[in-house]
Amino acid sequence: MMSTKQTYVPLGIFFASWSEKKAGRVPGNIPIWVGILSELTEFGIFFSAYFIAKFYYPAVFSLGPQSLHTTIGVLNTIVLLSSSYFMAKAMANIRMNNLVKCERFLWLALLCGCSYLCLKTWEFHWNDLQGYSTSTNEFFTVYYYMTFNHFLHVGWAACAILWVIFRLRKGAYSATNHSGLEALAVYWHMIDLMWILIFPLLYVLR
Amino acid sequence: MKGLGKLEYYLMVLILITLLNTFLGENFQSTAIVSVLVAITVMCKGIVVIDHFMELKGAHRYLRLMMKTYFVIFPSLIMLTIFY
Repeated sequence: MMSTKQTYVPLGIFFASWSEKKAGRVPGNIPIWVGILSELTEFGIFFSAYFIAKFYYPAVFSLGPQSLHTTIGVLNTIVLLSSSYFMAKAMANIRMNNLVKCERFLWLALLCGCSYLCLKTWEFHWNDLQGYSTSTNEFFTVYYYMTFNHFLHVGWAACAILWVIFRLRKGAYSATNHSGLEALAVYWHMIDLMWILIFPLLYVLR
Repeated sequence: MKGLGKLEYYLMVLILITLLNTFLGENFQSTAIVSVLVAITVMCKGIVVIDHFMELKGAHRYLRLMMKTYFVIFPSLIMLTIFY
C-alpha cells in the first residue's frame, strides 16, 4: 500500500550554503520568492527606464512632479506603510495562535489596500481633468507605466488577502502552520517596498 | 493603555521620514543635498521594512542580502542624478 505521507526531497540544484539549514529560514515558501524576484526584476526595469529617461529629458522630469497631486501621493504612502504594519501584526498574532486578532489585522490591511486603490483611481481621474495622459510627455509616460503597474499589483494582492482571510476562517492556518499566510505577507511587503521607491522618484525629486 | 511596541515605533518613524521627504521636495529646488537626503532616507525606509515588517532580520541571509542590495542600488542611482 502506498504511503500518503509526503517527504521533502531537496532538488539538489542549489549550493549547499543556500540551504535553510545553513543560510537561515525562508519566510513563506520558495515559490513566492521566485515570484518576488520576478517582480523585483520587473520594477527594476521600470526604475532603470526612469533614470535613463531622466538623463535624456532632465527639464521634463524636473517639472513633472510639480504637476502631480502630492497630497494623494503622501496619503498613499502612509496608507501602504500602515497596511504593511497591519500585515506584520497579523503575522505576530498567528504565531500566538490568536486567530481572531490575526483576521482583524488582515481586514485592516485589506482596507488600506482598497483605500490605496480608491485614492489612486481618484488621482488618475484628477490627472485626466488636468489634461495629463500617457502621451503628455516622457515624465507622464514613465509615471503611468510605473504607477498603473503598481496599482495592478496592489489589486491582485488585495484579492489574495481576501483569499487568505477565507482560508483562515476555514482553519487552514495556526501557530505552527501558516506558511501560506506568511507568503502573502512577504509579497505584500514587497509591494509596499516598491512604492517606497516610486514615491520619491515621481513626487519628490525635481 | 499598553505602551508603543517596536512595530508602532517603526511605523511612526517611516511616516515621519515620508513627511520629511515631501517637505524637502516641496520647499527646496532639486539640489545635491536634497537628492542625497532623499536617497539616504529611502534606503533607511527600505531597510526598516525589510528587517522589521518583512521580518528578514534573522531569516535566510541571501534573501535579506538580495532585498537590501536592491535598496542600496536604486537609492544610489538617485544620488547619481545629481550629476545629470
